[in-house]
This record gives sequence, C-alpha cells and structure tokens, in this order.
Amino acid sequence: MRPLTEEETRVMFEKIAKYIGENLQLLVDRPDGAYCFRLHNDRVYYVSEKILKLAANISGDKLVSLGTCFGKFTKTHKFRLHITALDYLAPYAKYKVWIKPGAEQSFLYGNHVLKSGLGRITENTCQYQGVVVYSMADVPLGFGVAAKSTQDCRKVDPMAIVVFHQADIGEYVRHEETLT
Amino acid sequence: MKYDPSKYCHNLKKIAEDVTHATPVSSLTWELEGGDDPMSKKRRGDFCAVHSTPQKKIKGQKNQASAASPAVRARPHMVPGSLHPTQQEVAREAPCERITAQLPRVSASHSQKLNNVFVQTSGMGTTRHRNHRSDDDTDSEEEIRLLIAREESLGKTTWSSVGDSANEPFEVVGGDFRSGVPKLCSVTAAGMGNDCDYDSGDTDEIIAAKKKTDKVKNSAEFSQMEKPAHKKTSAKNRKNCELSGNCVKAQKRKTNPERAIGARVTAQCAGSASESAESAGDEEYDAMMRNCLRVQLTLADLEQLAGSNLQVPEEDPESGGDGQETTTKCDRTPGGLHRARPCICPEDIVAALLEGEENTCGKQKPKEDSIKPKFQAFKGVGSLYGKESIKKPLKESVASDNINEDQDSLKVGPGSMSMEKGSPPANGSSSKLTPLQRTKKANNPNPNQTQPQKRHSTFQSQDHKMVSPSSSEDRSRNPVSSLLPLKDKSLSLGAKTPKVGVDEDCHHRTGETGEGSGQSSSPMPGKALEGSSRRDTQGSNTNFPLSVNSWSDVRAKEKHAEDNQKRLAALEAKQKAKEVRKKLVHNALADLDGHPEDKPTHIIFGSDSETEEQSHPGEEPMKESVNRASGRLFDSSEDEESGSEDDSHRFTIKPQFEGRAGQKLLDLQSHFGTDDRFRMDSRFLESDSEEEQEEVNDEKTAEEEELAAEKLKALDVMQSVLHTTVGNSAHKGSLPAKKFRDVIHYDPTRHDHATYERKSDDKPKESKAKRRKKREEAEKLPEVSKEMYYSVAADLKEIFQTTKVTSETTDDTPSSENHDGEKVDIHHPATPTTGAEEPGGFTFSFFDSDAKEEKEDAYRAEPVKTGKVVWQGAPRFQDSSSEEEDVAEEETEGRKPSPREASLPEKETTRFFFFSKNDERLHVGSDLFWRGVGNNISRNSWEARTNSLRMDCRKKHKDAKRRVKPK
Repeated sequence: MRPLTEEETRVMFEKIAKYIGENLQLLVDRPDGAYCFRLHNDRVYYVSEKILKLAANISGDKLVSLGTCFGKFTKTHKFRLHITALDYLAPYAKYKVWIKPGAEQSFLYGNHVLKSGLGRITENTCQYQGVVVYSMADVPLGFGVAAKSTQDCRKVDPMAIVVFHQADIGEYVRHEETLT
Repeated sequence: MKYDPSKYCHNLKKIAEDVTHATPVSSLTWELEGGDDPMSKKRRGDFCAVHSTPQKKIKGQKNQASAASPAVRARPHMVPGSLHPTQQEVAREAPCERITAQLPRVSASHSQKLNNVFVQTSGMGTTRHRNHRSDDDTDSEEEIRLLIAREESLGKTTWSSVGDSANEPFEVVGGDFRSGVPKLCSVTAAGMGNDCDYDSGDTDEIIAAKKKTDKVKNSAEFSQMEKPAHKKTSAKNRKNCELSGNCVKAQKRKTNPERAIGARVTAQCAGSASESAESAGDEEYDAMMRNCLRVQLTLADLEQLAGSNLQVPEEDPESGGDGQETTTKCDRTPGGLHRARPCICPEDIVAALLEGEENTCGKQKPKEDSIKPKFQAFKGVGSLYGKESIKKPLKESVASDNINEDQDSLKVGPGSMSMEKGSPPANGSSSKLTPLQRTKKANNPNPNQTQPQKRHSTFQSQDHKMVSPSSSEDRSRNPVSSLLPLKDKSLSLGAKTPKVGVDEDCHHRTGETGEGSGQSSSPMPGKALEGSSRRDTQGSNTNFPLSVNSWSDVRAKEKHAEDNQKRLAALEAKQKAKEVRKKLVHNALADLDGHPEDKPTHIIFGSDSETEEQSHPGEEPMKESVNRASGRLFDSSEDEESGSEDDSHRFTIKPQFEGRAGQKLLDLQSHFGTDDRFRMDSRFLESDSEEEQEEVNDEKTAEEEELAAEKLKALDVMQSVLHTTVGNSAHKGSLPAKKFRDVIHYDPTRHDHATYERKSDDKPKESKAKRRKKREEAEKLPEVSKEMYYSVAADLKEIFQTTKVTSETTDDTPSSENHDGEKVDIHHPATPTTGAEEPGGFTFSFFDSDAKEEKEDAYRAEPVKTGKVVWQGAPRFQDSSSEEEDVAEEETEGRKPSPREASLPEKETTRFFFFSKNDERLHVGSDLFWRGVGNNISRNSWEARTNSLRMDCRKKHKDAKRRVKPK
C-alpha cells in the first residue's frame, strides 16, 4: 500500500474527471475529513485517514481491501474505474442518463444502452462524455460513455447505441471474485 | 398505529416478518422453494390446469368488475402505469411449468420487446464480450475505441430512420435535473449494494405511482368494493364446485390474478421484512403502509380460495365466515385431508396479515381501535350478542353497510393468523419461529408459551369443528375473547404486574404461573375462560340452528379482531407493568444511593460485608414492598442491582490512571500493591508526560503534514488535469474567500471602511462655495483685454460726418418724432418712403456723384434707418419676442393695422438689419411659438392630457403603495 505517484494520480484523475468534472475537487478536498488515495495490489482505494491508520496495522500481503476501491491500473498503466466507485461518482455526476425499466436488465447484464432504452438524458451531453446511468427511479445503475451527443440521440435509430457500457452494479454479482 | 421498535408487540410482528424472509431467494425471484410434488406447487399458488392470461383477465375484469376479486381490483392502478406487465410477475410464474406455457402470451409485448433488444444488439455485434473484464489488460478506452469503430461501420445504416425514433421519445433534461419520482427507500438510493429487495424500476415506479392514490382510495374504495366482489367470487366458486368438483379449469382463470397477487404479497412481505430488518423504524412503517393494500387483498383472496375447492382446514373459521360453508362443505370434506395452502406458504400470509392488521389499525380507524378494547372488555359476552344482533340485519342488507363488514374481515387476519401458526401445515414454520422469538424476545418471559398455546387453541377449535363445523368453534372462541380483556383489565388495574401475556397462558396452562402478582389473578380467569368456552361449545350446538351462517361469520371475525386487540392490550399492559417494576427498582436504588454517601471515605478491609450490611436496612422496606408487588423476579434483579451498585463503585475510572502517564502511575501502583500508604494519585503524575504527549502530537502532525502534502499534490495534479476548467477554480478553497474579500460589503461600524465612504459632507459645502464663486465669476463680465481693441478709424468719423451732413436734413424729423412713437413710426416711413425712398436712394446717388456715392448712399441709408429703428421699432420688436405672449399679441394686434395702412411700400422702408418692420417672417415665428386663437384646442387637449396623466400617476402610486403594504 502506497500513495499514488503523480503520474498515477494524473491518470486516475483524468478518468474520474470524465464523469464528475471539477467535482473531483470535492473528493480530494473533503470538508468532513482527510481522504486520500492509496494504491494496493494495483488497485486504487479511496480511504479516509482514519481507516488508513487502522489499515496500517495490517501487513500488506494480508490486506485485501481498504476504504473504497475506485478502480485499478492495468498493466499498461491505464486506469480502469470499477463499479465500486459508483457511490462516489453518482452524486457528483455532471452528465446523466436514465434508462427505461425495460432496458435496465439489459444494462445490468453488461450491455450497452440502446436508444430504445434511453429514458432521459442530460442536455448538452457531448459525444464520448462519461455519463452515470440511472434507472428511471433515480437509482444509479452504473456508468458508461455517451456514444452520441444529446442532439445526435434525437436523430438516431432506436437500435443504435447511445451509451457504451463501462460498469454496472450487476458486476457486484458477475465479478464478485474480483471486486474489492 | 405507528411502528415503535421499543414496543414488544411491534417486535413480535417484526419477528414474524423476519421469519418470512428465511429464504432470501424467494424475495428476489418470487419463487418458493419446493419440489414438483403437488403440495409444493399448491404452496406456490400453482393450481392444476390453469390457462389464462392475466392481462386479459385484468381488462375483462375492469369491464365486468364482477369477477373482480378484490385482489385484482387493485391492479388497475398498476396496469396502466406500467407499460409492460411487471417482470416480477413473469418471474413468479416462471417456476410453475403449466404457466410457463402461457408466458409468451402473458407478457407477449414485453418479452418480445426484450427479445428484440437482445437479438438486435447481438445482431449488431454489440453484445458484450467483456465478461472476462477484470483481469484483461485492455483498457476501457481502447475498448471504447473499438466499439466506436464498430459502431461507425454500422452506423451509416442505423442513422437512416428518423421517423422511428419519434415512437420512442426520451427526455432531455438540464444539468440540475431532479427526477420527480420520490425515493422509495433511501437504502436503495444510498447504497445500492445492500438492499436485496429492490429488483427493478418496475416495482418502484408502480409503487410510486400507486402510493398516493392508494392511500386515498384504499380505505374508502376498498371497503366498498370488497364486499360485492367477495360475494361474487364466492358465488362463482360455488358454481364451479358444483360444475366440476376439484379441478376447476375455468375457475383458475379467476384465481390466477389472485394468486399472482398472493405471490406478490409474499414477495412484498419478504422484501419489507428484509428491509425492516435493516432499516430504521420509519422506513419499516412506510413499507408496511405500502403493503397495506395487498395485505387486505390477500385476506379476501384467502377467503375466496378457502371458499373454493382448495382446502384449508385452518381457514375454516374464515371461510365459514363467508357464508359459503354450506355450499363448499362438500368440497372441503374431501380436501380436509390435504394440508396444502391454497395460496402461499403460511409464513407469508402470517406476515401479510400482521402487516395488514397494523395498517388497518393505523389507517382506517385508529380511534376505534384505541377505544374498542376497552368497550368490549367492559361489555362482556352480552354486548357481543347485542352487536351480533345488530349486525345481523346489516348483513342481510349487505351492500349498504360494507364498512363494518370490511373492518371485521380485515380484523380477522390476526385471529386467523394465530390459528394458522398453530396449524399442522405451519408447524414447520412455527418451529422456526419459536427459536427466533426466543432469541429476540429474551426479555419476554414466555415466548414459547404462546406458541403451543395457540396450537392448542387451534386444535381445540378443530375438535369443535368436528362437532359443529363452523359456529361452534367460533363460539368457543368468542367468550374467551370477550373475557380476556376483562381479565387483562383486572391485571393491569389491580396489580400492574409484568405478566399480561397470560391471556393465552391462562387458556391453556391455568396452573402455570406468570410472574409477580399475576400469579394470583391468572388462574381465575383462565379457569373461567375454559369453563365458559366449554359452556359455549356446548351451547353453540343449541345456538347453531338459530344463527345464520353469516351471523357466525361476523362473530368469528369480530372475535378474531377482539382477540388481537386484547393481545395488544395485554402486551401494552405488560409493558406498563414492566415500567412500573423498573420504577420500583429505580426508586429502591435511589434510596440506596443515599447510603453509599454516608459510607466512610476511608477504606475498611473486608468492607464488602459491612457495606452490604449497611445497605440492607435501607433496602429492607423497599424490598418487601417490591416483593409484594412483583415476586421472585425482583428478588434476583434486586440482588444483581445491589451487586452492580457495588461494582460501579469498584470500577469507577480513576482519572489519574488515564493516558500514558497514567499507565506509568498504574504500573507504579501495581508495583506497590494495594498498600494504602502508597496510593498514587494525580500528584504523582510526572511532568514528562507532557513531553511524551508532545512527541505523540509531533508524530501526529507529521502524519497530518504528509497527508496534507499529498493532498496538495493531488490538488496540483487535479489542476493540471482539469487545466482549463479548474485552472481558475483550482484553488476553490482560497478563491471563494478571495472573491468574497473582493466583494466588500460596506460596514459603517468598521473604521477601515471609512475609506470606502464617499466624503459627501465636505463636497457639497465646497461646491456651494464654489458654486457661488462660479456664479459670481459667471456673472462677472469677462475681462476684456485692453491690448485688444478695435481702433475706430477716423474714416468712420469722416463717413459719419458726411452722413450726418447729408442726413441731418432728413433725420431731424425722425429724431423729433421719436417722442411721438407710433404715430411717428407710421408717419415717418410713409413720408420719406412714398416719394423719397427709392428715388431717395437714387437721389442720394444723385446728390453725390457716381457709383462711389451710390455705395455710400446704400451704406448711409441703412445706418440711418437702423438708427431710427433702434430708437423706435427695435424695442418693440424685441419686446414682442421676449415679452409675454399676451403683450406681444396686443402689440401685434395693435400694430397690424398700421402696416396695412402703410401697405407694401412701407416694408422696404421700415426695414432694419435683415428685417423689415412687421416682417411676416417674424409673425410666422411668433405663430410657431404661440398659436394664438387656436391655442384653446391645444390647451384643452393639454389639460385633458394632464388630467389623465395625473390620474395615471396617482393610480400607479396607489398600486405601488398597495403592493408595498402587504409585504
């Protein structure tokens, strides 16, 4: 377990900023206590200082997880957000997509969101913008990347993909063994 | 009634709910575990040979409203709300094979749609191949890039149809959009991982949509609707029974939706149970309220099902209550051997009924509920009869007075529940229940007593039923219930004993003791109850012929309700008693507290015995009284309490041993042993402890610094990442502060803000002075530089001299006439001009020879005239322009005739500078300035306008005032 290097931090922040933009600041500079990012087993954990101190009592090889896992660094040193980060992305999301009840299941099985399943979308969403996916009942289901801008979404075929799937809460079941 | 987790009676229910949630799978999939044997199928609510489409059924039912089991009636709320039949339904029906055949039909549109989606996606090659996501090295971005590429290759084809997209509109919302859908459970919203009962938006939406309408409609509508539906379904069932004995294929159509709802109920209950286990009381309550409707439905459902050929021995009292007994008996008797539940597993029903009961209590008639137990308690058996006699006619009139009926039927729930608990098929569940209850209700002295008790009662009732199927059993219970409140009252009033759960105990174990003084009272009513029950069972046979079926139904329901209420009352009383006991203990201890203070501060070895001795005398009277009140339980508790009292002294935290320095002290102390002479107190605290603390603090600060540094670094990185957007807002923490400083709010109390004050006091003074000065300066004539001057050339003199010489002859007259004014004016122009002017010009030229002379003449002539006119006409003309209009008018009027007299030739003569006298142009100018006679019109219009303007102004003023006033 170690703090992130500057490069790592940059890569990770770039990724997170796709979804929450400048709200990233709220994660880094929290009024309710010191929070920091820690790298452990190639995974980035968002930990409160308190937990961090407690976790320091556990040897690194025995430590499975601490705080909230935001994602992991791939072997090519790119950052991949995990669904576990959703709790922190959802409240700060700048661009949102709501999907219809019928499409929820499909999305939660790891499929992209088709236009037919698109219930609502934040205006001015540009293409390839990171979006958080909600159910129509405002339950965050995951996140993805907007395949089409809001304007394009209007024109596009109902079967066209509007949001590329990135992570969904179905992964809690599907990838149970790898999620930490 | 509001859910109060601190109340035992509520917790009792809660436990029941928990038990229903024994299998979390059921809550997720609406699937009941069990094999393929007919029993388990029936438990699942799957009956033989059902072929119907719920959707159609719903629609048809809407139209008819006849086949409407109340269960179905609730549906219309959801059906229009949801585009597709809820997925749960589909999932629910899936397990049973017979219905799977219908599945495509059932949710044709929905499943098709889903299929479409899947097919299409796969067809487009968009189905994910990312199941092996976790450890693959491909970055998500690369994946996306690949996807995008693929998309684009396919995209050209997909972009075409714009018209189709109109079919599936989607909303575009602003960035700060908040959806109107109320959050149903904060659990789901907050942490989506932990709630198991949320399955999809469907339910939530439906519930959300329904929630409001249901709450309103529920009580009123339901109560009205239930009854007829009830009757009709029962009637139909009867018919079906007659037509085709056991397997009712046609009837299944009707039962199907009901069953569906039954299943729904289980699911909901399970869900709510899990929720309630996790979440706070309020949420629980909400959940219960939400389920209220369905619970009610199932009750009716149950009744109906009981009425049909699906045999439920435990429900016999209820079904009997429907008045179907006579007809359905034939079905039941063969079916009596089956123990299968027609709808669902008993735990669910129990939970549902419990909830339903709570809801009805809370919602529909809280007042009545609160009042009822008392009344009934005092009225006793006789009142019951009276009531029934009242209700009998009501029942016959049926439709008119549904509400009472419904309440009754609703209240049946708990009663039937208690019976079901004890019933053989539910044995498994009840056995499950009991351990849980034991654990949960550790405080509750006799959790296990209730269970066997209930069972016993049901057995009894069944026995009775053998004798007289419906009413006798009812009778047997009625007196019991009627008596119970009385007994409860006596208990609560008389001694306020802790035990009130006795109501059930006494029925069965009369000999068994409660606790405290409850012992004394409990046997009596118990016996009385038994006796009365026996009496009633015997008497019921005699009563039976008299009583119509419906009558017995009412009574059964009533009785159940009362039972339940009594139970609740008993629990409450018990709680009260407990509180009383606590108080007693508390008082006793409070008295005790006085004594320890009297204790000597010094330590006496072997003090334990002494202190006890000391404390005892004080305790004694209390103890006695307490003993009288609450018997043996208190004895033990008293001992404990006194022990704990000592312990509390023994284990008080000594401040000197706190912290690191304290540790050292403690070590020292332990080194010295318990020797009194070497007591360590705060005086022995070493000063170096502070240094240690400082060290610790330093460590801490170092850590904090590290973290802070890290944070800063992170912030820097963040800045670089979000360069453009956050570049300015990077120092968000500092920037706002800065900004805030920039925007200075003037505070007159602050001295440094004086700089922001405009020194307006000095300036006006200065300006006044300045103004004066300026004015003065302005008034002062500008100094004319004496260097610059016009030197009047001698030429002029000469010229004038020449003119004088020439003009003196002529000009003398005007100068003399000058005094006469107008006359002269008129006169003068006439005289010279008529004959002389034109010729005069010439004459002048004639006088002085040649062109030079002509020039001089021309020159001469004008100055002369100017001179004249300046003297004569000029003041008037100037006056006319500068003076008031009226004067000018008069003047012009006065003058106008004169120029006429003078006529045309004058004009040129009276000319001075560029104007001739009475120049038309001047008149035009004055006309432009003042219109003369026409001014009346303009004046009138102007006055009107000013009036209107004034009115407008006043109006606006008033409006403004009015606007200001209310605020």
